[in-house]
Amino acid sequence: MKKENSPTIRAYITVQIRGARPELFLQKCAVKGIFIWDVKKIEDDCCQATIMFKDLGALRKIRRNSLYKVSFVDRKGFPFFLSRLCKKRFLIIGIFIGFLFFFVLSNLLWSVKITGVPKEIEEKIETELEAFGIHPGVWLFSLDTPTDIQRQLLNEVPELLWTGVNLQGTTLHLEAVEKTIVEELPPGEPRNLVATKKGIITNMYVSKGRAMVSVNDYVVPGKVLVSGNLNTEEGENNTDAEGSQRQPIAAEAEVIANTWYEVHVSIPLQYQAEKITGEQKKKHYLRFGDVQLPFWGFRDPDFIYSQEERREQPIHFLKWELPISYVSKEISETEKIEEQRSKEEAIEAGIQQARAQLENELGPEAVILSEKILHEHTEHGKVELVLYLSVEENIVKEELITQGD
Amino acid sequence: MKKWQQRIRSLLMEQFSLPSDVVMEMPRITIIGHLHFYIENHQGLALYTNEELKLKVANGFVCIKGHSFVLKMMLPKEIMLEGTISEVLFLNHEGGKEE
Repeated sequence: MKKENSPTIRAYITVQIRGARPELFLQKCAVKGIFIWDVKKIEDDCCQATIMFKDLGALRKIRRNSLYKVSFVDRKGFPFFLSRLCKKRFLIIGIFIGFLFFFVLSNLLWSVKITGVPKEIEEKIETELEAFGIHPGVWLFSLDTPTDIQRQLLNEVPELLWTGVNLQGTTLHLEAVEKTIVEELPPGEPRNLVATKKGIITNMYVSKGRAMVSVNDYVVPGKVLVSGNLNTEEGENNTDAEGSQRQPIAAEAEVIANTWYEVHVSIPLQYQAEKITGEQKKKHYLRFGDVQLPFWGFRDPDFIYSQEERREQPIHFLKWELPISYVSKEISETEKIEEQRSKEEAIEAGIQQARAQLENELGPEAVILSEKILHEHTEHGKVELVLYLSVEENIVKEELITQGD
Repeated sequence: MKKWQQRIRSLLMEQFSLPSDVVMEMPRITIIGHLHFYIENHQGLALYTNEELKLKVANGFVCIKGHSFVLKMMLPKEIMLEGTISEVLFLNHEGGKEE
């Protein structure tokens, strides 16, 4: 026995057959191989039956040779549903556009909120962000990762001590902490200035206090350079009255001294470097779980050495993260360069390296005057250098005067 | 001639225990309670109303009576009827009648 469920996935129609003894017409149809079900007799000369839509042509052929009249009552099934839906095309387009709208809007950056800093820095951050291409209205997946933004901001805005970037939905929350310059000592306290390093003083600019050393003096660390105590030595003090003894003040001065450093560097004669040639290729993917579907940039570039940068951005719908994410890959061709350098070049590089190292250590105010090679030695393809660098720098350090009483 | 054929057929049926509906070209009828009537190997529909269904079979007609009949399925040689069945009659050419 053939059990037939109502086949909703296929199109079927209900027809009415009018004429004398309509069941005979149905019988004829059945003999021709038309599958008929749900036959009902409505009136003596009227029968209702359901047939598959594809059998309609065969039914019409049979009707042509007979006196029966066939009319259609109902059309059902998924294909008819589809065609009815197609008639409401604008509704479908509307729904589609609506979804697209939501999708687009939930993937746009709507606002950037900066908290924790005064107005002027806020404005500075905003212009900086603008320069990185972060402003309301950009695609969320074109944004850099929060850590990248953080790093860039810290580099570009020197006033910032720390930034916390957090993407919440369509809002970029940016929390920043301003650098505050903390005075090491309260300005009014009486103090001396002492040397921090040994060296020969080349210049002194004393704005407050009494100089205890003079130019071309050799000083060692801890030596008082400028005293806050304005009273002269005890011997000369006799002429002054006891009452006129002046209170110590906060000394202020800049003492530039010539200091020297010994720096050890070792430079290999052979070196390897990787250089980006400038050839690059971008690939774009949509990732569903483990499957990556490329939709732009299909061909693999034929680079021998390359470096790959991969970025992934989740796609949102309203507040939900969709299981799809957008991945872009940037493949840059690189070149491996292996170079040999002469001893002279190595020494030159060593000096540069030592200078850079020292400058980094001492800060921007120090000036490197000269360098001298104390010792050089080549071993295992490396040049070992001992350099002697003379530097001009401020050697002042503040020290509170502790008063006896 | 026809009688002779019939005799051979019933002989075959008895001797080789072949199913009678195949050998004798007879309809196979399945009735489930008074709800369903299922017939295979009929030879045409003669009459159908809400209260009666008459089908041509090998040597006569089968007539089903009842009410609220619906033909659930119609194939060239099969029919499934749904409704409330009250009688099933075999009308033979010989004029015999059974219930």
